[in-house]
Amino acid sequence: MALRDGVRRRTLLKASLLGAGSTVLLARHGRAQAEKPQYGGKLRVAYQLAPGALDPVVGRSGGDAYYWRQFVDQLVDADPALNPRASTSLAESWDVSDPKKVELKLRKGVLFHDGTPFNAEAVKFNVERLLDPATKATPRAAFTAVDSVTAVDEHLVRFNLKRPWGSVLSTLADRGGAMNSPTAVKAMGADYIFKPVSTGPFKVAEYVSGSHVRFVRNEKYWGRDAAGNPLPYLDEIVVNTVSDPTVQVAALKAGEMDLIYVPYREVGNFENNPTYNMRKFDGGGIALTLQYNTMKAPLDDMNLRLAVAHAINPEAINKAVYFGRAIIAKGGMWPTGSWAYDPTVARPTYNVAKAREYLKLGGKPNGFELDAMLWPSELNTPTAEIIRAQLGAIGIKLNLKVYEVTVATEKFNYGQETPIFMTSWSRYPEPDWNASLIYRSDGYYNAGKRKDDRLDALIDAGAATADIAKRKAVYRQVDEIVLGEAHMVPMLYGVTYAAAPKHVMGIDEVFGWDAKMYLHRMWLKKS
Amino acid sequence: MQRYILRRLAQLVPSLLLITFMVFALMHAIPGDPARMMLGAGEQLDAKQLEIVRREYNLDKPLPVQYVLWLAKAASGDLGRSTASQRRVGEELLLRASVTFQLGLFAWLIGAAIALPAGVISAVYRGRWPDMLATMAAVGAVALPGFWLGIMMILLFGVTLGWLPTRGYVALGDDPLGSLRHMILPAVALGITSSAVVMRQMRSALLEVLAQDYIRTARAKGLARWPTVIGHALRNAMLPVITVMGLEIGRIFAGSVVIETLFGIPGMGRLMVQAVFQRDFPVVQGCVLVMATAVLVINFVTDILYAVLDPRIRYDG
Repeated sequence: MALRDGVRRRTLLKASLLGAGSTVLLARHGRAQAEKPQYGGKLRVAYQLAPGALDPVVGRSGGDAYYWRQFVDQLVDADPALNPRASTSLAESWDVSDPKKVELKLRKGVLFHDGTPFNAEAVKFNVERLLDPATKATPRAAFTAVDSVTAVDEHLVRFNLKRPWGSVLSTLADRGGAMNSPTAVKAMGADYIFKPVSTGPFKVAEYVSGSHVRFVRNEKYWGRDAAGNPLPYLDEIVVNTVSDPTVQVAALKAGEMDLIYVPYREVGNFENNPTYNMRKFDGGGIALTLQYNTMKAPLDDMNLRLAVAHAINPEAINKAVYFGRAIIAKGGMWPTGSWAYDPTVARPTYNVAKAREYLKLGGKPNGFELDAMLWPSELNTPTAEIIRAQLGAIGIKLNLKVYEVTVATEKFNYGQETPIFMTSWSRYPEPDWNASLIYRSDGYYNAGKRKDDRLDALIDAGAATADIAKRKAVYRQVDEIVLGEAHMVPMLYGVTYAAAPKHVMGIDEVFGWDAKMYLHRMWLKKS
Repeated sequence: MQRYILRRLAQLVPSLLLITFMVFALMHAIPGDPARMMLGAGEQLDAKQLEIVRREYNLDKPLPVQYVLWLAKAASGDLGRSTASQRRVGEELLLRASVTFQLGLFAWLIGAAIALPAGVISAVYRGRWPDMLATMAAVGAVALPGFWLGIMMILLFGVTLGWLPTRGYVALGDDPLGSLRHMILPAVALGITSSAVVMRQMRSALLEVLAQDYIRTARAKGLARWPTVIGHALRNAMLPVITVMGLEIGRIFAGSVVIETLFGIPGMGRLMVQAVFQRDFPVVQGCVLVMATAVLVINFVTDILYAVLDPRIRYDG
């Protein structure tokens, strides 16, 4: 689930919400609730990426979530800080106290869009479907702790586990916890991918390849707002694929769109704007991180890795490339606003004197040549130039190897072609996802496949319990190692901005825990 | 003539084979294992899933075998399923190609509508201000990248003036006027570059003809300037222009890749770019097949048009 593919990473760049941001959001949320929502209308949304699939389970692109979030309910939903939230979940309650099993008590009276009842058998069908390798389900690896599923009764389902599964609740808030109608899956075969049937507030009405997806209200939706009004408010949503951010902004200004993401360079135009509301999500992704191959010379030497990390000034990059809108990273790979975020861990920060010192300790006081992998984008390319200059100041000569994003990812992590990769990352607030992918000895993003018994033991301990206080302590120790010894050093956390005209309501609740858009509670105010 | 047409049609087949094979080989030369790409090049890679994908898409077989398998199916009309979306390539292409052809035709017509009169005026007023103006505009248009021009037009006509939609596509059948309104900006952005090339060709071809004796004779016998140009010169000057206009179709297809992405038009160019990034071989192959066929057929039609325009040309040999 980390950095699922290139497409996902690009989304990250724009994405982000928490910390100080969430307080503001909550305050605004309270104010918005005072107004009584009006029913009806069509919301037109622009999003950069076309869906790779609409079936959440088989889609590969991180961008798919902007589509499937609108018509599914999660087995276990989560708030923006990734705390499980029963009121919006398909499970009313859960028991994760036994390391050998997980039990979910399901909501009664929920129907799939095709009338199929949602029950324990449906959950069993869904989990078994994604565990079957022939389904080619994206979240399969995240479910390998599951041995079997038992439908105990109509509304009680049990996952029997092979090993403890501490990240179960977070995992059920993502792709794998989205439920598909067993009847529809069986009936449609390969065509199901673009004609999904779930339980959410909207139904897929139309998919036009390369153009848009249209959703219509699910009249039989079970959800209610805080005042007890039935959800959703909107009649219709159209999510349009608009690849160019400049065109998105133009379409919003021309009144052809009601909600867009705002690129960093345009944020200033929407700030304190009398016509539009803008909301932000701090930490919607890792905008820039240094990913090291700790087994590849010359960066198999920890001192030289630290020299590189200390020589880079993220402040300068933020100012020059991100218009000062990103956030200087103070913690590790679990960003601001997630419970695991810990800004008090010691980590390498910009300090040229220290960088020179580490060069000496690494036996290269006059610097060295360094090959770096990079994928080009409006943000990455100028960033790389700044980094090249900053490293040049301490004698490190940077040679950039530039490939398109999926290829660069593959060449760095699988091909082990360079000792360092300058990249970005999706928001993965569940620390086990990143930990087992980047830091475990068998993790895909552990490019050198370095075996570190300390890290493996900590990651197992973090996955063995669902107790957040205990887990937080474990992931702090992980951060101390990976930041202190420079395995992966994030430089900038991203901030996601969304803008809409003032009559578009519910924008305070538009960001989910993954910084993606949830349109379940949007409504349009008639003037 | 009939024999010539038949022979030219038969020549299309080896050209298509060569093109599809080259694209097939090139796609496999791009770095990145297609099966790994398909599963997301990353953490969810799973040996069992990988094996299933390789088998399903014949990726476990040698390259020439893969090509022959694809060819055999394609010859029977089955272009396979997209590896990324699982949708049938044939169905997808049918939808997408009609959009691109509509846009391409519109762009081509706009290009011709600008280029032909501009080229004629330029030649007739050679060295005077209308010629200078048209030449400067043409040089400018060749130098302008289509995507930049597109963005500028979106900002001016879509946002500032609000005359035209900024983006999107409406099918001609659903709403003819709306469809036309949506097509204007992308078609102009796409057509303007090719108009510059055609205009220069029109100008030089016409100049050459205007310098010939029979034109002087026509003027000498008292025929006015414009009837001479239109009645006597233009038809003879059109041959090289038609050739260039035919070749411009290829350029318009190439440009549609960028313009469709910018304007959110669900055409083939956009489909192909996405497919290349996803290493979606069946879709790339399908797009190339359609585009190559279109270009070859247009070239073929251009050749036949020669004979229609110039009765001296006969293809009997």
